[in-house]
Amino acid sequence: MLVLSRQRSETIMIGDDIEVTVVDIRGDKVRLGITAPREVSVHRKEVYDAIRRENRAAAQVKPEDLPAIGKPGPKLVDGSAPEAKKAKPDT
Amino acid sequence: MEIQTSRFGLLEVDEQRILNFPSGLLGFPSHKRFALIQTGSEKCFFWLQCADEPNLAFVVADPSIFFKDYDVPLREETLLDLNLTDVSFAQVLVVCNKVDQWLTGNLLGPLVINAANRRAQQIVLTEKKWTTRQPLMRLQSDLPLAKSA
Repeated sequence: MLVLSRQRSETIMIGDDIEVTVVDIRGDKVRLGITAPREVSVHRKEVYDAIRRENRAAAQVKPEDLPAIGKPGPKLVDGSAPEAKKAKPDT
Repeated sequence: MEIQTSRFGLLEVDEQRILNFPSGLLGFPSHKRFALIQTGSEKCFFWLQCADEPNLAFVVADPSIFFKDYDVPLREETLLDLNLTDVSFAQVLVVCNKVDQWLTGNLLGPLVINAANRRAQQIVLTEKKWTTRQPLMRLQSDLPLAKSA
């Protein structure tokens, strides 16, 4: 692992188009500002790991675990859940 | 098209109805094509069956049935990735898991689907209001939690 020392408001570059800036340092907490192309997703690692772990666990569920839900009915859905919750744009 | 599944045998699915997850789901980046399959009795649950891996399927649910105040802020890049020009086509599902006697939903990492072009993506909420194991219902009693909320 590359380890660099940076002071407040200093930045490191990752490749040509990702910038990580130390915005603030207070005690044991560091605030980072990240500028990255939109195709690069940025997440807190623990959140990303938790979702990945949960997906893997959820993939183990079998129909017999869920008698109340069970197996597919005779009709297949067209990919759009009929009353699915509408998402809203982030304003 | 026909889909081989380990859970349900051979399924016939209209190819026009396959959901495309260009980035897969988190932890499953190489599985991109899924069919959404209605379950027997319940209308709020579906199986999300991978079209290319018989053994990969998830139970998914419409979270709004359980949590009236749940909504998913869509960031600009998600709109672009899904080519979502009209947000009224956006639909949200959550992946479900069985934890002890509870059916839980991953409300922190919802699936967003553009019903207009069937592109879909699992996104990560930045707000920590919801968890990856939000209880949906107790499996023994079959009663949805939100009815009492």
